[in-house]
Amino acid sequence: MRYLKTLAFCIFLFSSSVVFSHPLDELVILDIEEGQITFQNEQMAAEYKAALKRQRMRKLAAMTWQEKFLLFIQAGIEHIIPKGLDHILFVLGLFFSSLILVSLLWQVTAFTLAHTITLALAALGIVQIPADIVEPLIALSIVWVAVENCVLKETNKWRPLIVFGFGLLHGLGFAAVLSEYGLPEGNFISSLLAFNIGVELGQLLVLITAAALVWFIRKKSWYRQRIQIPASLMIALVGIFWFVERVFLS
Amino acid sequence: MKKLLFIIAIIVFSACQTSTDQAEMQTSNNPFLQEWDTPFEVPPFNKIKDAHYMPAFKKGMAENLTEIDAIVNNPEAPTFANTLEELERAGKLLSKVQRVFSNLASSNTNPKLQELQRELSPLLSAHYDKITLNEGLFKRVEAIWQARENLDLSNEQRKLLADTRKAFVRSGALLNEEQKAKITEINAKISELTTAYGQNLLAETNGFELLLNDTDLGGLTYGVIAAAAEAAEQKMENAETEEEKAKYKDKYVFTPHRSSMYPFLTQSDRRDLREQLYTAYVQRGDNDNETDNKEIAARLAKLRAERAQLMGYETHAHFVLEERMLKTPAEVYDLLMQLWKPALERAKVEVADMQAVVDQEGHDFKIAAWDWWQYSEKVRKAKYDLDEAALKPYLSLDNVLNGVFETTNKLWGLTFTELFDINVYHPDARVWEVKDKDGSHLGIFIGDYFTRSNKRGGAWMSSFKGQSNLDGRERPVVVNVCNFPAPVGDAPSLLSFENVITLFHEFGHAMHGILTDVTYGSMAGTSGPRDFTEFPAQILEHWASEPEILKSFATHYETGEVIPDILIEKLLKASKFNQGFANTEYLAASLLDMDWHTITAEEDLKDADAFEAASLAKIGLIKEIAPRYRSTYFAHIFAGGYAAGYYSYVHSAVLDSDGFEAFKEAGNVFDAQLAAKLRTHVYEKGSTEEAMELYKKFRGREPKIDALLKVRGLDGSTD
Repeated sequence: MRYLKTLAFCIFLFSSSVVFSHPLDELVILDIEEGQITFQNEQMAAEYKAALKRQRMRKLAAMTWQEKFLLFIQAGIEHIIPKGLDHILFVLGLFFSSLILVSLLWQVTAFTLAHTITLALAALGIVQIPADIVEPLIALSIVWVAVENCVLKETNKWRPLIVFGFGLLHGLGFAAVLSEYGLPEGNFISSLLAFNIGVELGQLLVLITAAALVWFIRKKSWYRQRIQIPASLMIALVGIFWFVERVFLS
Repeated sequence: MKKLLFIIAIIVFSACQTSTDQAEMQTSNNPFLQEWDTPFEVPPFNKIKDAHYMPAFKKGMAENLTEIDAIVNNPEAPTFANTLEELERAGKLLSKVQRVFSNLASSNTNPKLQELQRELSPLLSAHYDKITLNEGLFKRVEAIWQARENLDLSNEQRKLLADTRKAFVRSGALLNEEQKAKITEINAKISELTTAYGQNLLAETNGFELLLNDTDLGGLTYGVIAAAAEAAEQKMENAETEEEKAKYKDKYVFTPHRSSMYPFLTQSDRRDLREQLYTAYVQRGDNDNETDNKEIAARLAKLRAERAQLMGYETHAHFVLEERMLKTPAEVYDLLMQLWKPALERAKVEVADMQAVVDQEGHDFKIAAWDWWQYSEKVRKAKYDLDEAALKPYLSLDNVLNGVFETTNKLWGLTFTELFDINVYHPDARVWEVKDKDGSHLGIFIGDYFTRSNKRGGAWMSSFKGQSNLDGRERPVVVNVCNFPAPVGDAPSLLSFENVITLFHEFGHAMHGILTDVTYGSMAGTSGPRDFTEFPAQILEHWASEPEILKSFATHYETGEVIPDILIEKLLKASKFNQGFANTEYLAASLLDMDWHTITAEEDLKDADAFEAASLAKIGLIKEIAPRYRSTYFAHIFAGGYAAGYYSYVHSAVLDSDGFEAFKEAGNVFDAQLAAKLRTHVYEKGSTEEAMELYKKFRGREPKIDALLKVRGLDGSTD
C-alpha cells in the first residue's frame, strides 16, 4: 500500500510535517537529472570559512561603534594570544635579548610603531604584498633576533632599527589576518585602531608573563647560559622550521 | 607485537567510545528528546549531532504508534475531540526530528545523512502504512463521519474530518478482503517497477559520456572547459584500472546531466558532437538493453489503471484528480489544449527565426532539435540585446531582499528584523523575525541563499516548525533554500534576474507558511493540492517585475544609481523570449502524462515508444522539439508522485497570472482591499477549504486563462 500512502496520506499527515514546495520526490528526480552530490572536503572547508566571515560581517554591520570597538580590541588580543604564535615568538625573541628595561623598551616601541604603520597602510589598501613573500620573511625575522641573542652578549645599537624593519613585516602579517577577519564598512578607522590596541595589549601580556616567569632568576649568573641562550635557540629552530614550511611545503 | 597491541588498544578504545556515544545519543543528551528552550523554538542546531537522528526517529515512531493505539483503544465512544484532535496531537516527536532531518539532509548534507536517508525511507514508509491501514482507527473516523450531520462542527473541522476519512478510503479502507489483497498485490508490483525504473534511469544517465580531446572544444567558454576537465579528473580518480585511468588522461568529459549538457549544446560549434550528446539524452531508457524502461513504463501505467478501476474510478487520472483543483481529466485536457495551439505556433516562429540565422551564416542545414540551444541564444543576443552582466550590479542580494520585504510590507504591513543571536545550521543561513502590522509575532524566516557543495541544487521552501492553534498559539519557523552564486571576496552577492524571480517565488511559499492561521496543524500553510500550492508562490513573482517596484530596490551596489528604464524595458521584453519552446516542451510532456494515465487496464499496449509516438502525433508536435521528458525518462510520473499531475505547474500559472491581473485592473499593485482578500482567503487558509472556493473568494470569480497567454507572449503580441 506504499503508493497509496504517498498519494493520499501524505496530504493529511505527512505533508504537514515535511513541507517542500518542491516536494522531496522532485529533489530525488533532480539527483538523476543533475547528478549526485560529491563531497569535496577541501572545497567545503573553504566555503565554510568564507561563510563564517560573511556571518561576522553581517553581525558587525548591525552593531554600534562602541560594540565594534570592544569586539576589535578582543580580536586584536586573540590574534596574538593564542592565534599569533609567530608574533609571540618574535616578542619573546626581543625579550630574551636584554633585561635592561630601556633597551627592551626601545625595541618594543620600534616594533609597535612599525607594525602599526604597515597594518594601517595595508588595511587601507595602500600597500599590498602577497602572503607567500611576507610569511617566510616573518619566520626569518624570528630566526634573526633569536640568533642575535645567542651571538651577541650586549644588544647592538642598530637593533631597534632592525626590529623596526621586522615590525613592518609583522604589520603586514596582522593586516592579512585582519582582512580575513574583516573590517566593517562603517567605523573602519575606529575598528582598525581597536584591533591595533588589542594587538598591543596581547603583546604586552606576553612580555609581562615572560618577565614574571624569569623575575627571580634574572640576576643569576647562569641566566644567560641556561635560560637566555637555550630559549633563543629554541625560538630560532621553530623559526627555521616555519621558514622551510612556508617556502617549500605550502 | 607492539603494533598489534596498539591496534587492539585502539579498537577497544574506539569500541568504548561508540558504546558511550550511543548511550548518550539515546538518552538525556539527545536534543530531540528534550524541550527546546531556544528563542521561538528554533531547533538547537548546535546541539544536534548526526548520531542523534536514528534514536530519535525510532523513539518518535514508537511513541506515535502508542498514541495511535491509545486513540483506537479509548473506551469512550469516538468523538471529534478524542479521535481527530488526538490524531493531530500524535507524532510530535517524530515530526520534530523529521523536519530537522529532511531539511538538513538537503540543505547541509553529508555522507552520513545521505546514508541515513536511504535507511529511513523504508522504515518511515512502513510506519505510516501502519497508521493508514489501521482498521480500528478508520472505524472510529468512519463513525464520526456517519454522525457528522448531528455534530456541531466548524467548517474547518468538517474539512479535517472529510480529508482524514478520504485518506483512509483512498488507501482501500472500504474494500472487501479480496479486493484489499488484490490492491496489495498490485501495489507491491508497482513499487518494484517504480524502483527498477528509477535505477535504470540513473544507470542510463550516468552511463553515457562524451569523451573529448582539446581539439574538440571549439566555441566553449573557459568555465565550461574547466568543468569538463574537472569531470575527467574525477573519473580518473575513481578509475579502478590503469587502462581506465589512461582513457581519461588529458580528456574532457560531458554527460547528459543538465548542468553539463546545456552549456555544451549552447556553446559548442561542433554540430556532430551536439547531436551525439543530445541524442544520448533523449534516448535514455530507450536503448533496447538491460536498463530499458519502455516495457516498465507501459506496465506501470496499466497496473495503475487496474488499481484505479478496482477502487471504482474510471482511470488513474480520475483517481488522482479527485483530490485536485481541476477535478477531471477533461478539465485538464481542456486547459492544456487551450495553451497548446498558441505555444506550438509560437515555437514554429522561433524555428523560422533560428533558420534565418543558420542561412545568414551560410550553412546548409535545417534546424534540428540539437541546434535549439545554440541558435536560440544567437537570436536572443540579436533581438533582445540584454547584457546580464550590466544588470547584475543592480541586483545585490541585500537589495533584492529589501525589495521583497518592502513588497510584503506594502501588501500586508509585515516587518522583518534580522536576528543575530540565534544558532543556525550554517553561517550562511540568516534569520529574521516576521511581525504583523500590529507588531505581533508571526513567525521566523530563515533564508539560506548561497550555493555550496553540500547543498542540493534547485530552490525550495520548507519548515522547521509548523503552525497550529489547537493548544495555544503556535507560530511557524520557515526556511527558503536557494543556490545563488556566493559572493567573490568582499563584493556583495549579485543576482541574475532569474535568481530574483526565484527569490520572490520561494518567498511566496514562505509567506504561505508564515501567514497561515489555522486551528489544525495538518491543514496549515502549503498543505493544499499540488495544482494550487504553487499559486501563492508564483503570484509574488509578478511584483518583482513591476517597474515601479524594481526601481525601488534595484540600485547599483557601488554608485547607488537606480536601474535605468531602458534596462527594465529590455529585461521585460526578454522574459518573453523562447516561450514557444519552453511551453511546447512542457505541454507535450503534460499531455503525454495525461495520456498515460487515462488508459484503461484493458488497453492494448506493449511498449512505450509506439504509445508515445501516437500521443505526440495526435497533437502535432514538431520534430525540432522533444517533450520535456520522454516516457523512458519521465521520473516525475514513473518514479515520483506527479502521475497525472505534471500539468500542476501551468495550472498554478493560470491562477497567478489571472490573480495578479486583479491588481492591474484595480490600477494599483498594492490595492489594500485586494491585498487583504489575498491574505485572508489564500495565504492564511492553508487547506481548510476547497482550493477553488478560496480562489473564488479572493478573485470574485473562477480563473481565466487570458492573462497567462499575455504574460507568456502567446497571445500573438510578441514579434
